[in-house]
Formats: sequence, C-alpha cells, structure tokens
Amino acid sequence: MPQEYYILIIGYVFGFYMAWNIGANDVANSMASSVGAKAITIRQAVFIAGILNIIGAVFIGSHVTNTIRKGIVSTEVMTDPHLALIGALSALLAASLWVSFATWKSLPVSTTHSIVGSMIGFGIMAGGFSVINWGKLAAVVISWVISPVFSIVISFFIFKIIVKLILSKEDTFTHALKLSPFFIGATFFVVILSFLFKTPLGKKLIVGPYSALLVSFNLAIFFGFVGRKALGWFIKKREGGAEAIFKRIQVGTACYVALAQGANDVANAIGPLAVIYFLVKTGSVGGTVPVPIFLLLFGGIGIACGIGMAGHRVMETMGKKITTLSNTRGFCVEFSAATTVLVASKMGLPVSTTHAAVGGVLGVGLARGIEAVNFGIVFKIMLYWVLTVPAAALTSMVIFKILQFLL
Amino acid sequence: MRVPFFKMFMTSPFEGLQEHAEKVMECALAFQQAMECYFEDKCKTFEEFRQEVTQIESQADVIKRRIRGHIPKETMMPISNFLVFRYLREQDGVLDAVEDTLDWISYRSTKKVPPELKKDFALLVDSVIDPIEVLSTMVAEAREYFKTYSEDQRVKVKDIIRKLRQQEHEADKFEDIIKKKVFNMEADPVTIFHLVRLAEIIGSIADHAQNAGDMMRAMLSK
Repeated sequence: MPQEYYILIIGYVFGFYMAWNIGANDVANSMASSVGAKAITIRQAVFIAGILNIIGAVFIGSHVTNTIRKGIVSTEVMTDPHLALIGALSALLAASLWVSFATWKSLPVSTTHSIVGSMIGFGIMAGGFSVINWGKLAAVVISWVISPVFSIVISFFIFKIIVKLILSKEDTFTHALKLSPFFIGATFFVVILSFLFKTPLGKKLIVGPYSALLVSFNLAIFFGFVGRKALGWFIKKREGGAEAIFKRIQVGTACYVALAQGANDVANAIGPLAVIYFLVKTGSVGGTVPVPIFLLLFGGIGIACGIGMAGHRVMETMGKKITTLSNTRGFCVEFSAATTVLVASKMGLPVSTTHAAVGGVLGVGLARGIEAVNFGIVFKIMLYWVLTVPAAALTSMVIFKILQFLL
Repeated sequence: MRVPFFKMFMTSPFEGLQEHAEKVMECALAFQQAMECYFEDKCKTFEEFRQEVTQIESQADVIKRRIRGHIPKETMMPISNFLVFRYLREQDGVLDAVEDTLDWISYRSTKKVPPELKKDFALLVDSVIDPIEVLSTMVAEAREYFKTYSEDQRVKVKDIIRKLRQQEHEADKFEDIIKKKVFNMEADPVTIFHLVRLAEIIGSIADHAQNAGDMMRAMLSK
C-alpha cells in the first residue's frame, strides 16, 4: 500500500477524533438551554442531537467545508500533492492537539478557530505568506465578531417581543398559543430555506431563489398553524402559562439547533480530511469539487458517537448548573443561535456554534431576562480566539516541519 | 470539558436575597417572644430567645457575605449590582436592629418597663413585626416580576412597599408617644436613657425595612 493511503487512514482517524470531540463538548453548548430549562431530558437531548447532527451534516453541511478548504488558503499550495498532503495532515493533527488541550484545561476554545488557525499554518508553510487570502481571512475573523453580535441582537428582540406580547399579559397561556404560529413558522422558514438553498437536494427541486423564498414562506405558515393545532391538542392544562407552551416549542428548537450545528461543525472535522481524500484519490485538489456525501456522513456519525459516548456526562453537569433558564428564555437562546449559525453556514462563513449560543444567552441577559449572567466570558472567549488562531497555526507549522522530515 | 456555555451561568444573587429575607423572617418570631417575655414580670426565657436571634443573625451574615463575594464586575443582572448591595445592606439592617434591641435590653434586663408604658411598647413592637416578616414576600414577588415583567406583578410589589412605608409611619408615631411619656416621667436619668434608646432602636427596625422597600422600588423603576 502506498504511503498516501497510510496518511489517508491517519486522516480518517483524526477527522473522526475531531468530530467525536465536537460531539462530546460542543453539543453540550447548544443543547444546554433545552436541558437546563427542562424541556427535554438528557436522554432525549442525546438522541435528538445525535440524529439531527448527522442529518444537518449530510444535507446542509457541504458549504462551509469548501470555504475552509479553498477560501482562506489559496489552491496554489495544492500544486505539489505531496506537500499539500503533509500540510493537510499537519493541520488536522494541530487542530486535534489544540482541541484536546483546550478540553483538558477547560478553555473556551472553538473547534472552528482551531481548524482555521491550523489551515493558515499549513498554508504559510507550504506556500509562504502570499498564499493566505488575507481579505478572506479578515472576512472570517469579522464573521466571528459579527455572528455572536447577530445572535445577541436576535435573542434580545425575540425576548423583548415575548415579554411585551406574552409574558406581561394576564393570560399568558392564550397569548402564547395565539402567537405560537409565528415562532414555529419562523423556525421552519429558516430551516426550509437552508435546505432549499445550495444543498444538492434543494438544487434538484427548486430553480430560483424567489421561488425558494415563496415555498419556504408558505410552508412556514402551514407548519406554524399545524404546530399551533398540535400545541392546543397536547396541552390541556392552562396553569403552566406561556412557559408550558414554550416547553413544547423548545423541543422543536432543540432539533433546530442540532440541525444547524451538524451543518456548521461537520466542516471542522472533515475539512482537512476532505483535502487529504482528494489528494489521495485524484492526485490534486480541484477548485470546485464538492465534498462527497459519505465524508459528511462520516463526520456526522463521528459527532453522533461523541454525543453518545461522552455527551451524557457533560449534559448532566449542565442540567445541574443551569437552573435560571426558563423555557421562554431557552427558546430565545436556541432560536437565535441556530438562525445565526444556519445563515452563516449558508454564506460559507466558518462561525462557532458555541459562540452563537453564548451570544443568545447574552442577548436575553441584556434584555433583562436572566437574574445573573457572567458577561466576563465574552472577554475570555475573545482572548482565546486571538490566541487560538496563531497558536494553532504555529503548532501546525511545527508538525508540518516534522512530517516533512519524516515522509 | 470545554463548555464555555456553563461559565456564563452563575448563582443568582436574588436567591441569596431570598434566603437572607427568610432568615430575617425567622427571627421575627423569636424577637416577638423575647419582647413579650420582657414585658412580663416573671421572665425566664428572654436570654434563650436572644441567643436564638443572635444565632440567626450570624447565619444571615454568612449569606450576606456570600452574596457580596459572588457578584463580579462583569455580572449582568436585570438591575445594577449597586442596588443589590444597597438593598442587602438595608435588609441586613433590619436584622441588626432586632439583635441590637435584645442586646440593649439585656444590659439592664432586671429593670422592667414601667407598667404605664407597657401598652405603648407592646404597640410599637407589634408595628415593627409585620415589616420584618413581609420582606421575604416582597423579594419573592419581585423575582416573579423579573420573570414576567407584568404590570400586575409590579403593582403587587409596589403595594407591599407602600405598606412598609405606612408601617414605618405608624412605628414612628408610637415611638414619639413613648419618648414624650418617658421624658415626662418621674424616674432616674439612667432609666429614662435606657427607655428612650430602647424605643429608638425598636423604631429603627421599621426604618430599615422601609429603606429596603425604597431600594426595591428603585429596582422596579422602568
């Protein structure tokens, strides 16, 4: 067996490890509000997150992978397949190393940032500073700032709306039920739109963006009212008020988050792996080759395995720690996080699901919805992403040198 | 574990405020019994109740320190942390005043309240018991308001605050009556000093409760 195949096998192993790590750690960030607000049990969270991460990864996930692969680091580097192969492997190893280190030390490091950093390191080693598309990199960095802000803004306004139109009213149950089609419909709208835009499945079905918008809108309205009927059917007791309604809606938004996360985070695990795969299979990396479905599935399954094996323990801690989140708050957090991530993922920006979820909580906090939130995490996160990118890049460079010497 | 999401969530200071308010309420009963005992001629259990209040006060102190020590600068709350601290100070002031009252009595416990003043002192004590007890209800209702931001709930809390203010006014009146009577009494200066000061300390319980109410009102302001 040629050397390339060994590298491919190592690539699979570490790609799987990255996916596993996302499942074990990052999923807790997105499922936390549902479990904390007691909308779903830990077992349900594990199940929902596992299944929907795979679906999200396979059906919506391909776009971001392309950006990490060829957006920031120009494809010029790939002209020497041997060099590119070593580079992609060292990027994957460096990112894995960083994520493991962060997990061990409980640092708020994002897998997205680790992978972007290590890809940059590999790019610099393989082709010098000139191969880095600095404009693209700047756009990515800006998206890291914008995405939590976007999430904050959405959750802030959604919570304000909920307070104004539901919570402050006398009969919160009736008002929540009356407005439920809006919340359910909005969720469906973004999900359906994501499905229709730029997924292989959606491309087959719909031609233009306008018809996609129209179809999503109509389906969203339809599902909104079906959802309302179902809520009215399921919840007979009115005592729970708005929280009882949102408890059910939150089951839906938990699915929404899991879907968005699968779509977004799978790229972190299989981005470099996809490069290795193409180099080994075709001898070069073309500019427009899409990531094969089975790689996305591979990443999705890796995430699901992480959730299944370690997610339980993390979520248990979470259920105990997050007690101040009620269902209406949890809904805002999840809705804003998932919407941010899906929109960013469709734009091809590698954003962190974790940071979007953190932004969601801060938005509710700013809207005076939570008794106490530690805003300090924002500064820590910012510090760590300033550190993670160069650190992962450096690690990647060192590993590249070592591998170059060995292979 | 690498879950930044956890790090955002912290124990709510409101939980501490509630716990502290419950401690205040707990001491109301002991205080009332201690005072009734003091007004009686053959009182044996006064010291017991005083010890109980002291004990509750030290437990509440632990809660107070815990709250103060766990609101870092970056904490975001529905209200400013300054208000939390001020509120806590006043709520704690209630407890301190209760303890001070019993301590003050203990310095001269053999000398009883003159029979002609007993009724007035009993009225004064009664007027401060309710403000001590109502604080925990006020905190609970305020937390409910911060959950829903409903106007009805806000009115509910504001009613409690208004009642606190009225009760303080009542207590003031009784305090005045007592002081006037004491100064016109034929008694030795030490007795007069002791009684006047006693009335003042009891009255300050209602003052602190009212201040706590005012701080709460500031928290509710839109």
